[in-house]
Amino acid sequence: MPIPVMTPEGLEAAFDLSAYYPALIYVLVIVGMAVGIVASSHMPFLKPSNKTRVKQMTYESGMDPIGNARMQFDVKFYLIAILFLVFDVELLFLYPWAVVAYGADGTDSAWRTAFGPVVFAEILIFLATLGIAYAYAWRKGVFQWR
Amino acid sequence: MKLLRDVHQEFLTGAYQYVLPETVLLGTACVLFVLAITVPRRAVAVGVGLLGVAGAAALAALVGVESLRGVLGWQELSLFWGTVEGTPYYPRALSPFDPTGPAAFVRWVALASAALFTLLAYAETRDDNACEYVACLLVAAAGTSLVGRANDLVTLFLSLEMLSIPTYVLLYLPVRSRDGQESAVKYFVLSILSSAVMLFGFSYLYGLTGTTNLGAIVDTLNDAHKSQVGPMALVAIVLVIAGLGFRLTLVPFHFYAPDVYEGGPTGVVAQLAFIPKVAGFIALARVLGMLYPPLDQLPFDASGTLIPMTLWVLAAVTMTFGNAFALLQTNLKRLLAYSGIAHAGYMLIGFVVASTLPDVVNGTVPSQVGLDSVLFYLVTYGLMTVGSFAVLVHLAGGEHPVETVDDLAGLAKTHPWAAGALAVCLFSLLGLPLSAGFAGKLLLFVGAFDAPTTGSLKTMARILAVVAVVNSAIGAVYYLRLVGVMTLRSPLKVAETSRGNVALVVALICAAATVAVGVYPKPLADAARAAIPLRDVGR
Repeated sequence: MPIPVMTPEGLEAAFDLSAYYPALIYVLVIVGMAVGIVASSHMPFLKPSNKTRVKQMTYESGMDPIGNARMQFDVKFYLIAILFLVFDVELLFLYPWAVVAYGADGTDSAWRTAFGPVVFAEILIFLATLGIAYAYAWRKGVFQWR
Repeated sequence: MKLLRDVHQEFLTGAYQYVLPETVLLGTACVLFVLAITVPRRAVAVGVGLLGVAGAAALAALVGVESLRGVLGWQELSLFWGTVEGTPYYPRALSPFDPTGPAAFVRWVALASAALFTLLAYAETRDDNACEYVACLLVAAAGTSLVGRANDLVTLFLSLEMLSIPTYVLLYLPVRSRDGQESAVKYFVLSILSSAVMLFGFSYLYGLTGTTNLGAIVDTLNDAHKSQVGPMALVAIVLVIAGLGFRLTLVPFHFYAPDVYEGGPTGVVAQLAFIPKVAGFIALARVLGMLYPPLDQLPFDASGTLIPMTLWVLAAVTMTFGNAFALLQTNLKRLLAYSGIAHAGYMLIGFVVASTLPDVVNGTVPSQVGLDSVLFYLVTYGLMTVGSFAVLVHLAGGEHPVETVDDLAGLAKTHPWAAGALAVCLFSLLGLPLSAGFAGKLLLFVGAFDAPTTGSLKTMARILAVVAVVNSAIGAVYYLRLVGVMTLRSPLKVAETSRGNVALVVALICAAATVAVGVYPKPLADAARAAIPLRDVGR
């Protein structure tokens, strides 16, 4: 079972579930809202029933839907999507590095002397790997819409 | 007294020195991906791959040399035991990488097998996919090596994934047939499912103990379980066993193996049959706390029979089921898949033995402590299985590769060298004396007979040894059937070997090593024994 831990900053209290009761309230509110909205919009006696053809239409951000969505999509979409995801997420990864490693507050100088060079080298390696991945995808013709 | 924070800092800035050979492997993989878009040649890919493995091996050997450690500033076997006083959660290796234990042993196994699989890649690939294939292979080898070293739930999971994800690519790269796609998708989906189950177990372990460090988790559970085992800890460990059981092809989680092996490219299947078992068994031993001294306590000790009996039942069911279904197979790869399931069952015997160690009375250290026989058996199993699959790779050159038992008919006359290598590997799988398989089985079974009978398992370990012996006898039927078909029947058609002789060389290396280990097993057995921390047993 959890016990208090001694850390350099002092005694860290043991894990206590009862300290998390605001999260429970939050969950209750969310579930209550979800149930309330679904009930008021779908219960036969609560919801107003006034069906028109336009109201039954699939909502497509204001566009009129064309055709059936259940069709085969070209696998190229998948490749583009996965490449976007990879590079997008990896770009996101640079933000915490830039902010935490060299930011003005929250980083003491001792930390920076110890970790600065290591972290910088790690980011360079990371970017080099990205470059190789980009070159690979490029030369393999992933970016050509054939 | 060093502050916890300083120690953390030391581990974070210094951790790279434990993973230098793996870094070399990954660097080589990056080079290979660049080569894939510049000079896609099969010979170049295999050459660079072998160079990378050789470089990693050289570094691994250098790290092992005591006198060089001070000069180069690298550490390999230093103990972090007790660096931080007064912090009950962190009494041992805080590092995400454990510099002690079986890490070096697993690293050498990973490097040696990577060299063999790279050679097999020469027979398995074409110019246009060889670079990617070898690169993925090296990443998987680095992942395997890191599993042996991982000392943290995070590094353990990451290295297991580093092993799985290249395997998905490998399964898909060489063959574009329907069967190949089926096996790749099947393995992909089920592997992800098993990883999710294992992560779920990891999350419970973290929630219970408040740390991801495996040494600290084991200590915390040891303290908490002196009197009674927490039910959530049992849920966690059952989930982890289930997740790892997929990689080990233990019997309720084995069902994917025959299908995947049958459809997958043979060179990759050889890897799939061996590497995940190495990683899975090491990971299982770590999570069950069997690699952390003191071994006279295990984190699930107070449960008495629960964890040992779970392992016992898994072992007995796995070996029996694997052997029984192997009897029914006509496809060679399916047969070897079920044979691999049976051998996973044999290896679990070592875990049952290791879980009885808390019952060791003062001074009577058993001759085998379980996990050392598992490590030994893993190596021998790898030799004989990779050897068998290498023969199949060699014989798969033409339009009609050798796939069924009937295709082997008369092989001794048409391809005597291939038939000889396969026969040696099969004799070893069966466990004939003077073969590596015999030595491995002997160590496992002796360990089970030697296990203390005073504890909660009583004589169950011995019963398991009897079950295993009966199973070995069943195994003789289907292994000897193959040898009989090869030698006694006349050839129906001559198998084509248009892929060159590289695969045959791999098979012969494996067969020769099988015989060598079988005739003189002591060096390997000693190395396996040295890899398991023993000093506190029977204290």
